[in-house]
Amino acid sequence: MSTVFDFQGAPGSGWSQPEPISTRISQIPEALRRQNLPKWPRASEPELVRHYTGLSQKTFGIDTGFYPLGSCTMKHNPRVNERIVQLPGIDRIHPLQEDSQVQGLLSIYFEMQEMLAICSGMDAVTLQPVAGAQGEFTAIRCIQEYHKSNGESHRDKVIVPDSAHGTNPASASMCGYQIIEIPSASDGRLDIEALEAAIGPDTAAMMITNPSTLGLFETNIAEASKIVHEAGGQMYYDGANFNAIIGKTDPGRMGFDAVHYNLHKTFSQPHGGGGPGSGPIGVKEHLSQFLPTPIASRRESKDGDPTGVGDGYWYFWDDVGEGSIGKVQQWNGNAGAVVRAWAFYRRYGRELERMSEFAVLNSNYLRHRIMNPASDVAAKIHCMPSEGAKADLVMHEFTLSMSPIKEMNGVTGKDFAKRLLDYGYMSPTLYFPQIVPECLMIEPTETESKEVLDKFAADFHEVLSEDPEIVTSAPHTTPVKRVDEVWAARKLILRHPMTDSED
Amino acid sequence: MVDQIPNLGRESEMLEELGLSTMDDLFANIPEEVRRTEHLPLPEPQSEEEILGDATRILGANVHLDSMPSFISAGLARNFVPTMVPMLATRGEFLTSYTPYQPEVSQGMLQAMWEFQTMVSELVGLPISNVSMYDASTSAAEAITCAVRVKSKKASQPNSVYVSALVPPHRLSVIENYTQGVGIDIHILPHKTDGTLDLEAAASAAGSCAVYVEQPNALGLLDGGLMQLRSAIGETTALIVGVDAVSLGVIEPPGSWGADIVVGEGQPFGIGPTAGGPIYGLFACTKEFLRLMPGRIVGQSIDSEGKTAYTLTLSTREQHIRRHRATSNICSNETLIALMGAMHMALLGPEGLEKLATRIFSSTCKTLDAVSSIPGVELVNPGGCFFREFAIRLPGQANKALESMYSDGVIGGISLGKWWNEMSDCILVGCDEGTTESDISALVKSIENWIGGVSE
Repeated sequence: MSTVFDFQGAPGSGWSQPEPISTRISQIPEALRRQNLPKWPRASEPELVRHYTGLSQKTFGIDTGFYPLGSCTMKHNPRVNERIVQLPGIDRIHPLQEDSQVQGLLSIYFEMQEMLAICSGMDAVTLQPVAGAQGEFTAIRCIQEYHKSNGESHRDKVIVPDSAHGTNPASASMCGYQIIEIPSASDGRLDIEALEAAIGPDTAAMMITNPSTLGLFETNIAEASKIVHEAGGQMYYDGANFNAIIGKTDPGRMGFDAVHYNLHKTFSQPHGGGGPGSGPIGVKEHLSQFLPTPIASRRESKDGDPTGVGDGYWYFWDDVGEGSIGKVQQWNGNAGAVVRAWAFYRRYGRELERMSEFAVLNSNYLRHRIMNPASDVAAKIHCMPSEGAKADLVMHEFTLSMSPIKEMNGVTGKDFAKRLLDYGYMSPTLYFPQIVPECLMIEPTETESKEVLDKFAADFHEVLSEDPEIVTSAPHTTPVKRVDEVWAARKLILRHPMTDSED
Repeated sequence: MVDQIPNLGRESEMLEELGLSTMDDLFANIPEEVRRTEHLPLPEPQSEEEILGDATRILGANVHLDSMPSFISAGLARNFVPTMVPMLATRGEFLTSYTPYQPEVSQGMLQAMWEFQTMVSELVGLPISNVSMYDASTSAAEAITCAVRVKSKKASQPNSVYVSALVPPHRLSVIENYTQGVGIDIHILPHKTDGTLDLEAAASAAGSCAVYVEQPNALGLLDGGLMQLRSAIGETTALIVGVDAVSLGVIEPPGSWGADIVVGEGQPFGIGPTAGGPIYGLFACTKEFLRLMPGRIVGQSIDSEGKTAYTLTLSTREQHIRRHRATSNICSNETLIALMGAMHMALLGPEGLEKLATRIFSSTCKTLDAVSSIPGVELVNPGGCFFREFAIRLPGQANKALESMYSDGVIGGISLGKWWNEMSDCILVGCDEGTTESDISALVKSIENWIGGVSE
């Protein structure tokens, strides 16, 4: 198999650069000088364009096909956003430039802070965290400082439901908290009794996502907030599922004190291969003095101000002050992601709730189509999956348990997922949440058409009707067949060996 | 009207199939007490044309670095990114993919990341690299927590880590946030008046979990003494080195002088300064740290027919499996930007890297010579060897000087008073491959102009 290291042109013959403006390299002390150059490929632009185009063709993205990866909100990424971030007014900006030089950027930051505060019912927002997990970490740090400032450092426990994303306990743990995991109720929802049993004077916070990872709205969320607050704890909202609720409810109304947003999910910042993300957080007033610094602020323009963006305001980076936890990212966050998310938000404006409406409609519609095959189709299906959670309605995503199929003919959730790849789909999220056995977690998003959903349901039924052997040996039509993950973990070939024996 | 929803206008047909009549019926499970009843107080939706128009106007109010001579850096490069890089990385398959949980349909991205790991490994002189952290600062912070996990049990100073005093304060702040809750004590290692690390003082770090230093340091100084740091701190303490990645085209990589973990900002390879993000952190280490390191790693494997394939590996370290016992909370990382980095590195090749580093070193030397010969300007570390930046002391407040220089059409650098109060009369001057002789003349003139004004 060829790799980029197969390109071995003549030394220095690849991409050309201007000459150095002086010949001072001899000033580097000999001891510091690099002895051997790295064994990087020696390739020309035409060769590399073909290499990477070839690799792209072996990569599945939203542009390739339906990507129902639950909890990841893989929606269409509007292309104008990519055009905007190539403008020199964002691409060629340094984060330490003076306020007078970045009025445009500051105004976009300010607008995004305001918009996110409105949509979430929070009082203050920082755009500095660069991923959802970093947002969680940042918010828990703020809560930690809040308790410290109240002389309540003894609060050392964070409560997390067993259906939570793994990042929740990991983030709280990185702040030094002990994690108390509470089991879900039999209907998959938050168990108030379990919460009451776990809560205490040592509770620092509860972290929860709503709707939950089962795609269910936690109907008793206000009660949960009350219980946690009465015990002196803080409520943290994991915004991974924010796509389900915008304009319909918000974490502020549910009683939360802090929330993170995933701009790369809800607001479509593309994150090819696994990132970049952007994980701003919003907090209620009592936590705002602890936010990372700085945040964007503004005042009315005065005579003598340099030209701004022409909206009558002067924008500036505002130091959060002595209570601030400082920095979680070294600059002001993923500004390029913020600008893309701004362009996305502007596309919806006051109609952002349409996004959530159609995300929830598509999810319920797809669930309905999958679970209710026409009678002629049903006759061919060996066995139907069961619902991950019993519910009349789901939110933006839903879970299915493939256990009945595994029990009947040995086809696991993983086998099923691999077979869907043959049909030209990305697999749903597999084996998460862990409380649903053989779980497939499906999130269609609002940017899929009815036709795509109908076809997916039909193909889903087709796989349920197939010879189990075809499914267990899938995939068959992908660039490689099923990859041996155990082999990889045993051999640990984590880089090119750079020998001549490359096959 | 919103134009991103294919089913808009066809909702009644779909609702009917569900036995519902209105969109609000879908949200019936949201209790009244927490329902939002009023519409979001936000502006009307815009078309693509209007958004692009607004973006161009608003971002046009920013003063971008290519619009005037600019000497601002602080480790974030005003680099030249080959045109090929954004064009290829924004191919839809790359752009709109996600974490390759299904390797069979993600071989391209996985292979590109495995190649990235290899190039980073070669660059820094260590065998293992992950596929990126958020930025240089989170890389440094998580390198420290990783080193403590590996070293604490046998350390004679358990939970202690020593950090150079010449680390930028924003990075130190990130490090403090990532270490404060898990009981890690951060001690600061002093530097001598010439800016080099005090190696005698560094010996006090022997027996601790880790030492973190940067090469070049926050003031751009290359410190040959760091190559003796391993012998100063002994074998049992992890040596973590933060690097300017491009400098390794001319500077010996820390892997060759005893570093266990190398971190740094990957941004100079692959993406413009982009107002500070998205950028990506490099993280490379020796085998000792592999199983307790943060971040995603790609390994070579085989498929069911024995054909070479790639897959994410060692996932059992990660949060989605190990939850609160994970080595890090990192999930989304910066892969797409690392992909751009890989493309840029591959296009440079070994000699291209060396030339790029040489260009930056040359422009740094030339700028330093010109600026330090201005009467009234002093080098903070005279006699030093610098890469990408150097610090100067002025006869007056740096922020005033920078204002004056800006009115002459030059972005002169960063006032170091923002970082350290005692350096409010100092500027950190950054140079790069794009620095020209006329830029340097303009810089010199603007400094002279300000000094002339001050002495009048």
